[in-house]
Amino acid sequence: MFWERLLRLDRRWIFLFVAVSVLLPLLFNLECHQVPTPIVRGIFDKLESLPPGSHVLLSFDYGPSTVPEISPMAHAVIRHCLERDLKVVFMALWATGQNLLTSTVDSVVKLEFPHKVNGTDYANFGYKAGNQGVINVIATDFYKMFTTDISGMPARTMPLMEDVENMSDMSLIISFGGGFPGIKEWVQFAGDVAHVPVAGGCTAVSAPLLYPYYPQQLIGLMGGIKGAAEYEAMLTHTYPKFDPLPKRGMLAMGPQTVAHLVIMFFIVVGNLAYFLSRSHKAKA
Amino acid sequence: MFANIDLTFWVGAFLTVAIFSFLYKDNPVYKLAEHLFVGISAAYWMSVGIWTTLVPNLLCRLCPGWVNSLAGSDCLCPPASHVSGYERWIYLVPLVLGILLLMRLSPKGGWIGRWSLAFIVGITAGLNLLRYMQSDFMAQVQATMITLLPGWQGFGHFFGNLSLSLDSPLVATFSAWVVFFGTFCGLVYFFFSKEHKGWFGGASRFGIWVLMVTFGAGFGYTVMARISLLVGRFRYLFGDLIDMMNS
Amino acid sequence: MKRWIMLGVCLLSALPLWAQEPPAADTAAAQVAAAPQAAPATAVTAADAPNDNGHSLVVTFVPSADDREGGPVIGYEVYRSVDGGEWDMRGTVPASGPAGDATLRYRDAGSKDEASQDYFPIGQAYQYRVRTLSVGGFVDSEPSAPMGSTAEWFHFGKLELFLALVIFTGLMIIFIGRAKKGAELYIRPLAGIDAVDEAIGRATEMGRPILYVLGLGVASDIATIAAFTVLQRVAKKVAEYNTKIIVPCYDPIVMSVAQETVKAGFMDAGRPDMYREDDVYFVTQSQFAYVAAVNGTMLRERPATNFYLGLFYAESLILAETGSLAGSIQISGTDQVTQIPFFVVACDYTLIGEELYAASAYLGREPLLMGTLKAQDWAKGAFAVALLIGLVATLAGWSSIAGWFHLDL
Repeated sequence: MFWERLLRLDRRWIFLFVAVSVLLPLLFNLECHQVPTPIVRGIFDKLESLPPGSHVLLSFDYGPSTVPEISPMAHAVIRHCLERDLKVVFMALWATGQNLLTSTVDSVVKLEFPHKVNGTDYANFGYKAGNQGVINVIATDFYKMFTTDISGMPARTMPLMEDVENMSDMSLIISFGGGFPGIKEWVQFAGDVAHVPVAGGCTAVSAPLLYPYYPQQLIGLMGGIKGAAEYEAMLTHTYPKFDPLPKRGMLAMGPQTVAHLVIMFFIVVGNLAYFLSRSHKAKA
Repeated sequence: MFANIDLTFWVGAFLTVAIFSFLYKDNPVYKLAEHLFVGISAAYWMSVGIWTTLVPNLLCRLCPGWVNSLAGSDCLCPPASHVSGYERWIYLVPLVLGILLLMRLSPKGGWIGRWSLAFIVGITAGLNLLRYMQSDFMAQVQATMITLLPGWQGFGHFFGNLSLSLDSPLVATFSAWVVFFGTFCGLVYFFFSKEHKGWFGGASRFGIWVLMVTFGAGFGYTVMARISLLVGRFRYLFGDLIDMMNS
Repeated sequence: MKRWIMLGVCLLSALPLWAQEPPAADTAAAQVAAAPQAAPATAVTAADAPNDNGHSLVVTFVPSADDREGGPVIGYEVYRSVDGGEWDMRGTVPASGPAGDATLRYRDAGSKDEASQDYFPIGQAYQYRVRTLSVGGFVDSEPSAPMGSTAEWFHFGKLELFLALVIFTGLMIIFIGRAKKGAELYIRPLAGIDAVDEAIGRATEMGRPILYVLGLGVASDIATIAAFTVLQRVAKKVAEYNTKIIVPCYDPIVMSVAQETVKAGFMDAGRPDMYREDDVYFVTQSQFAYVAAVNGTMLRERPATNFYLGLFYAESLILAETGSLAGSIQISGTDQVTQIPFFVVACDYTLIGEELYAASAYLGREPLLMGTLKAQDWAKGAFAVALLIGLVATLAGWSSIAGWFHLDL
């Protein structure tokens, strides 16, 4: 019977359909209009409200396996911070985050903002082992953990860190998190303790776990590539100069949408096949 | 015509396709890629562990001069990171605890490692107990004490602004009711000291329905995550072709 | 005559000079000179900052009488001196303006590091004065009395947290004590656990083995510990029914504990001779290589029942799907929220989150597990009651109730 044959469909056909549904929109550059949601807008509005010269801490807490999801949002936020002349403090709680951070500084900060000075407008403090222990220490004394940046420049004497003693001197903490340690630990050990606003950009897998913290403990959350696309949309709308730059998040929305529609189609058809074949067997 | 093509790209592309080949059938090429990944990641993490944890956090505290003499410069242990006095010798404690932990490899001496494990478990429990109680309990209790009629301005205003937009009173009220009763009934479901009968069973049933909706949303989010990683991989493989077609 | 005419012309030509506006700077200076001086801030008082480590003081003062919306006051600067010596500026406070605050406060905090330039010694007596900045210039207040900081042992802002911890710990101690004395502590039946015996019986009837997967956790993970308890119960049943059990392990320590657990289960059933150590074995510590090996075992051995209890990550769906293809009954349980959806979809019974811990307490009946589970139930009950009180308070407009749970850090 047709429905029973459908239930026994070789899964490789489904893999092929999904692959084609992702590849074709990529090749033909299918775009989808993005409507920012309040949970992402919270981060954007907060950065817009900070006066120039405010300190923002960006923590790269992810690895290469989640680069397609998190890097687009990280790039968008860094562009936003530097465009607003905010002082950016970079660090990482993941060992793999340090390499990603360094390559991001090289490809985004140094290339697109060559007038920004390392040590004055931004600093890269690299990776520190210790997970939530690191956050616990820098909540009271930043220099106990980070004595120098990754190039060996002493932290205390940097113009960037002139008025900074600990987390309380940051205007905002944004963690780009792929797991543990990540946004949850920043909320628990920095946000709730030092009363510093915390925001996050996370993988879509982690997003449902972090929604309970919004809006009291997290001022905003970018969940997965959708969150990245929304942030990019707001950034290019407010600062059209960023429009020509690659917008990986928004470009992924076309293939994402088509793939989701294909998967939804298979779910509906699969369930129909299941129930119809059951009723057919019952009648037989 | 094809920019940025170099050996590292071709190796990456080959390994990507090798892993994808498993979707058709298990094969030696997939096994090769998998074993490469396992071996290289083990070596990478060992190297990362030594250079980012052992050297700067332990050796540079205890004997920075010796480390710098081996490296031939003070780039590994910059002067600003040196500590002196009791702050230096206290690092003997983690050194000893680390050696004790390695005793777990010995069949006879494995019990010695329990001291280090006890230290780790105790520290983690102490750090986490307060934070979880504060962030995941007290703060969540306060956050759930919400009004069931947010922004109430009378029946006229409510029924006069019926829409499905995110800031409409209907959606805000629905959200408030779902958050409150979903939390309450979810707690009822996970209450193990009473049998789920009567009104208690009804609340428990509503709670599990809310949980299942949450799990469905989590499933959908995970699907989105996996598709976005696939988009990333295809962009890596076909990036030049995509740029060419869209230029 | 000509000289008088020339003088007259000179005087007349000088008239425009007299009528000219003076230069802007002169005007501004004149305006400033003419602007009234704002009244100084008063009642400057320094006090120890509460609930801190002793490296800060709080300065309060009454704003200038001219500090009002549209008034001349721009803001305030706070200065500090030691023993009446040089005054150093410590920070600024914006004018109260429309808010019209009765007092303003400034927290003067420093570093506890003696090497720091901003070192704030505990007990050092400081005096403060407040400079009122206005359009007309500035005026300093009278200095405050000298005040030194002290460190507090107890943070009263966290009192609610302390009480919650004391209550929860007390409940745990009480219930563990009662369980140790043999008191009957009720735990409701769990669907997944009721199915365990049925699933083992099915395996015996079909003559096929049982596969028990402990996940990717280490021996100290709570989910893995809970899974060990269920494993012992399953092993005991398996020994009674004379069925084979296969336990592939991800971690070597977990393997050694699992071997002891299964052996203990067989001994409990009085069948120690049936225990085979080769059935509880280490596979690999590589996530997907482990999954590949377990999948291979499922497809070769065709177990009738699969148990997935413990800590799982991305491999959970692969395992459950393969087991479903092999036609096994599957009972799963994990506290990883991200993996529960996959188990719910692909398994016959799923223990969601805390149900896994409850299952281990239900089956093991150990006082420690029972006591902590009961204490957690009471904590959940307290949470639910607090929610209801908060609901009533919010409806009645008593917002201070919610404030009880806000920690003043």
